Amino acid sequence: MTATTARPSTVVASRVPALPMMGLLMRRSLTAIRRIPAALIPVVVMPIFFTVAFSGTFRGLTQLPGYPTDNIYNWMVPYACLQTASFGALATAFGLGRDLEGGFYDRLLLSPAARWVVPASGVLWAMVRALLPIGITLTIGVAGGMDFPGGAEAVLWLMVAAFGIAGLGALWGLGVMYRLRRQSAGGLVQIGLFVVMFLSVGTVPLELQEGWLPHVARLNPLTYILDLSRAGFVGTNAWADIWPGLVALAGSAVLLGWWAMSGLRSLDP
Amino acid sequence: MGGDGGAEAPIVAEGLVREFGDVRAVEHVDLSVAEGEIFGFLGPNGAGKSTTVRMLTTLLRPTGGTARVAGHDVVRDAPAVRAAIGVALQDAAIDPLMTGRELLRLQAVLHGIGRREGQARAERLLERVGLTEAADRLVGRYSGGMRRRLDLALALMHEPRVLFLDEPTTGLDPSSRSNLWDEVRRLNTEAGTTVFLTTQYLEEADELAHRVAIIDHGRIVREGTPGSLKGEVGDPTLVIEVPAGDEDVALSALAPLGEFRPARSGRIALGLHGGAAAMAGVVRALDGAGVEIQHIELNEPSLDDVFAEATGRRLEGAGDGDGAGGEGSAEDPRAGGVAELEEPMGDELGGAIGGAAEAGR
Repeated sequence: MTATTARPSTVVASRVPALPMMGLLMRRSLTAIRRIPAALIPVVVMPIFFTVAFSGTFRGLTQLPGYPTDNIYNWMVPYACLQTASFGALATAFGLGRDLEGGFYDRLLLSPAARWVVPASGVLWAMVRALLPIGITLTIGVAGGMDFPGGAEAVLWLMVAAFGIAGLGALWGLGVMYRLRRQSAGGLVQIGLFVVMFLSVGTVPLELQEGWLPHVARLNPLTYILDLSRAGFVGTNAWADIWPGLVALAGSAVLLGWWAMSGLRSLDP
Repeated sequence: MGGDGGAEAPIVAEGLVREFGDVRAVEHVDLSVAEGEIFGFLGPNGAGKSTTVRMLTTLLRPTGGTARVAGHDVVRDAPAVRAAIGVALQDAAIDPLMTGRELLRLQAVLHGIGRREGQARAERLLERVGLTEAADRLVGRYSGGMRRRLDLALALMHEPRVLFLDEPTTGLDPSSRSNLWDEVRRLNTEAGTTVFLTTQYLEEADELAHRVAIIDHGRIVREGTPGSLKGEVGDPTLVIEVPAGDEDVALSALAPLGEFRPARSGRIALGLHGGAAAMAGVVRALDGAGVEIQHIELNEPSLDDVFAEATGRRLEGAGDGDGAGGEGSAEDPRAGGVAELEEPMGDELGGAIGGAAEAGR
């Protein structure tokens, strides 16, 4: 057996187009839902639960002086949208954990495509998956009497905030899973999301919070993303409510993007 | 080692090292695998086989040393390496919730192959590995052998120049194992694909590999063709059965032809100088002495003997938690024949469905 000159691979280019690959990976996630329809139950039930429970439980808050709206749906539906959108992130994290545990992720890493394509498809899938719970939540809100003082633009900023949270949550989940490499780490992803949600202005406005809570909420980027989501529901799309949310989204994307990509690199310790 | 000087071989590793904390899993491994060669990487569990494969396939960064695969550095030009190689890892890395055809389609996209071409190749590969009828079934319902064959088809989707097979037949029944061997041989013969095969099965390395490297505790302890490695261990053993009462005459006739070795009662075992070519002389000698030969067999030294000679331990049985010993012994040249094989894998779809449902994908 003698060696011969190494010939270059002529079959495929060393780089693979990102978009078809991302599209197919998202389709794979969709196929999994199609094969296990039961996986859709929490996607449908949780928005209903959040919207009805939050709006019912906190209805009395609107009577407090200084509460920014007298329609509890206008305050709670944006929060419920963001909360349920974040569950898409949880699904992405669990899916990654399963692929890492089962070895399927090695197959993805063996593609000549750029490494970022795989986590990016997970983030995109989390955002696409958020469409359904956001739609359900908004429908329940409208049925309950939600109004739109900011008009169509109110929905636009709500969508930006909700899809943004789905993407940010996915980046957080990917970073955790890349480091811990097991499905059981999904609990940690969930706890992180809940803590950030609850230490914000999700249920109670900043002005009505007491003690250390408002200080933490002011430092929490989600507070400003929630303000963005409510810009057209408790006000009329004031730029002062919008730009801090956009900055918070962009800043968090940079930070959590680094968290996810450094996690990906940590797969090879 | 393998390749000639001057031209670069498809797989070259020099001083490859991988550490995990204080543990050095691979220690200064030097390899050269020639174009069109089936290279067997043989060793017990935990010897460093899979770690070496993961470094060569860009899944793991070497701590030290260098490696080039298909002419590309595995660290500096990893995407080009990945474009040139096909990999079937130890645990067939396939999604049980997808069908065989869907997985092949995904594999095509992962390697930048267009839709139409990908479909055409998928059909050819399904036909080749005998999975056309099962192509639209969920992979979770495949048997272990079917999963391995699908894994091989996936590894071949982009027509790789170099194929890495990491313990491809672990857990397969003898029939499935034999089918996979045939397919690997066919690939190598017809397409000239260079194959890097890790295995803990002696027979597999012996059957398939043109050259073998034996790795133990992260170090390569022997390298060469199976024949030359076994040849280094010593002469083959000729086992002869003669009628009761003729043993002494037979022993006298055979004495000049080799040294006698321990044998079961009623048999004569002769370390045969000159190997198989000397068998005719044995037959003539016994015939000349008027001794009837009732049974005769030539047992070549096995790769397990090579491993034992290099490490002082037996490879056979090491994977079953019996790190030393096994049923073979230095006196039994037939030790290290066929490895024990498990039954095919069971249905994993239930577990996968449970996991995915929990994840709420």
